[in-house]
Amino acid sequence: MKVPNKVLEIAKAIRSMRIRGAGRIARAAAEALKIAALEYSGPLDEKSFRKYMAQIADLIISTRPTAVSLPNAVYYVMYRLMTSQGDINELRETVINAADRFIQESIDAVRKIGEIGARRIKNNSVILTHCHSTAAVSVITTAYRMGRVVKVYSTETRPFFQGRITTRYLLEAGVPVVQIPDSAVRYVMHEVDHVVVGADTIASNGAVVNKIGTSQVALAAHEARVRVFVAAETYKFSPSTVIGELVPIEMRPPEEIVPREWIEAHPGIEILNPSFDVTPPEYIDAIITEIGVIPPQAAILVLLDRMGWALSKLKQGEIGKIFFEETLEE
Amino acid sequence: MRIEYLRKLGFNLMDSNTEYTLKIINYARKEFANIDNYKSLFRLYENIVSKVSRERPASAQTINMLHDLGKIIINNISENRSIKITHERIIASLDLWERRIIEDCNEAARIASRRLVDGDVILTHSRSTCVLKAIEYAKKENKKLTFYVTESRPGMEGLVTAEKINSIGYPVKLIVDSAVRYFMKDIDKVLVGAEAVAVNGAVISKVGTSLISLIANEARVRVFVVAPISKFNIETLFGELVELPESDWRRLMSPDVLASLPENYIARVPIYDVTPPQYVDGIATERGLFAPQAIPVVLKDVYGKWPPEVLELEELVKKIKEIIGDCL
Repeated sequence: MKVPNKVLEIAKAIRSMRIRGAGRIARAAAEALKIAALEYSGPLDEKSFRKYMAQIADLIISTRPTAVSLPNAVYYVMYRLMTSQGDINELRETVINAADRFIQESIDAVRKIGEIGARRIKNNSVILTHCHSTAAVSVITTAYRMGRVVKVYSTETRPFFQGRITTRYLLEAGVPVVQIPDSAVRYVMHEVDHVVVGADTIASNGAVVNKIGTSQVALAAHEARVRVFVAAETYKFSPSTVIGELVPIEMRPPEEIVPREWIEAHPGIEILNPSFDVTPPEYIDAIITEIGVIPPQAAILVLLDRMGWALSKLKQGEIGKIFFEETLEE
Repeated sequence: MRIEYLRKLGFNLMDSNTEYTLKIINYARKEFANIDNYKSLFRLYENIVSKVSRERPASAQTINMLHDLGKIIINNISENRSIKITHERIIASLDLWERRIIEDCNEAARIASRRLVDGDVILTHSRSTCVLKAIEYAKKENKKLTFYVTESRPGMEGLVTAEKINSIGYPVKLIVDSAVRYFMKDIDKVLVGAEAVAVNGAVISKVGTSLISLIANEARVRVFVVAPISKFNIETLFGELVELPESDWRRLMSPDVLASLPENYIARVPIYDVTPPQYVDGIATERGLFAPQAIPVVLKDVYGKWPPEVLELEELVKKIKEIIGDCL
């Protein structure tokens, strides 16, 4: 199988975190499938094409084993390929259309989440957000345009400083933003009315896996009786958690925290860099998706509604992941 | 190169509270040496007070030390002592404070170290002289411990703490401040220092301490504070709030990093926060380990009566000015 260079580039960019953020990863995955279909140069029979696409799908899924948006985007496109019939040109069209539709829906989802979430923001609100989430920024900027937001606290979000990206986006939208170090979350919490964060993955019990630090922001909010909203597209919900799979937390390299020189000068110090943590559902007031606001405990509803196909596949195989190449034999 | 890179990240080492007080004592001793009249004595005292309220307004230990100096000045003037005698008494008081700060810190550390037992996994935040001392005592007794250290932004002095604990001979794991809750289930005890302790038992310490204590409390992990009694802020007894200074982007990054951010970028950078007494399990002082709520009892014991007599530092300065004005 010849993998097109552009697909390899996208895979590499996802792996190295040059493409990051669940939404961007998902759209990049769909884009990669589309490019693969467009640049397919193998034998012109239907079977070879299906096999090639299945291999590409598995390759893309393997780039970031912990990002749920990635397999969900691939499921979305591959489900449509697996259930359609036709010659190679028709199948190619199916993949391209499905990928385009996923990308469009994902972009629309951000806008819808913004509109739905903004309704939950009270007048004269101070909002705190952690890390950078396109969906959370959408909620905040939409609420700001409705005149409801007076100030936003954005955490720096070590080690990668994604809070600086959030700050940039919010400032561009005219929203008054103040950056705080991650350690100052409890210090400012008594001034805050709502916490709005994104999600990397949502488990079937409503637990939210998001950037490291989110769970302690939610805890500090809970202590101060500040409401916590999680803005998340439906492709963030993890089908494999329904069959009991744990969401793996990726340990990232220590160089993200301190420079290599420092690490080498301190061989006795181990640097631990988990990239996500788990916020329990009891600290979350609502999850805002493009199909509506749900209490976190109702996450299973979204999974059944949106991921039914993947769910049944996973349950059938008692597996945590779908390997598309294996599904070909059926 | 290494330091340059760390500066980009906002590495900026502040004195620990104990180091700062000792520094002020040395500074005062040097400056007081040239004093030969009450007027310049007062001016110098006033200068030191304003230097401290500018640099470390929350440092109870330094403020308490300045209280003592102020009282010596007032008493000596009202007793018509010569400047020479007042001068001698001030120097003697500074010497005593210096000794006391070191001894009390050591004793509080020794008491705190007894709470650490074989197999404990300890989390510490920021950089505290007395906490590091406690770890040294634990090592002397050959206790088997493991440490988690937060990088402790703003300032990132956690890097230096990690280095120091490792050089004492313990394994250290360094984490970002945001990862505290992720690791709390692996932690047995939290051990931190203090900038000041209010009379209600609230602990003023490096920003982030209150969040860590909240997280520890959620996970039923015990929180111990090492703080000699000289760090107790008596002024809070009369409702004074401890003034908590804040900084800006300068404590988060170097100017070239700021230049890469939007023009209207604003950062609010608190240096300390307040941990409520209900999240603190014990305060280790030179007089023993006790519950934060028991501070009034300890203070009664220390000062001989309750409530102890205190003037706010500003009032004290005013009063000295008045009586010096009278006798000039």
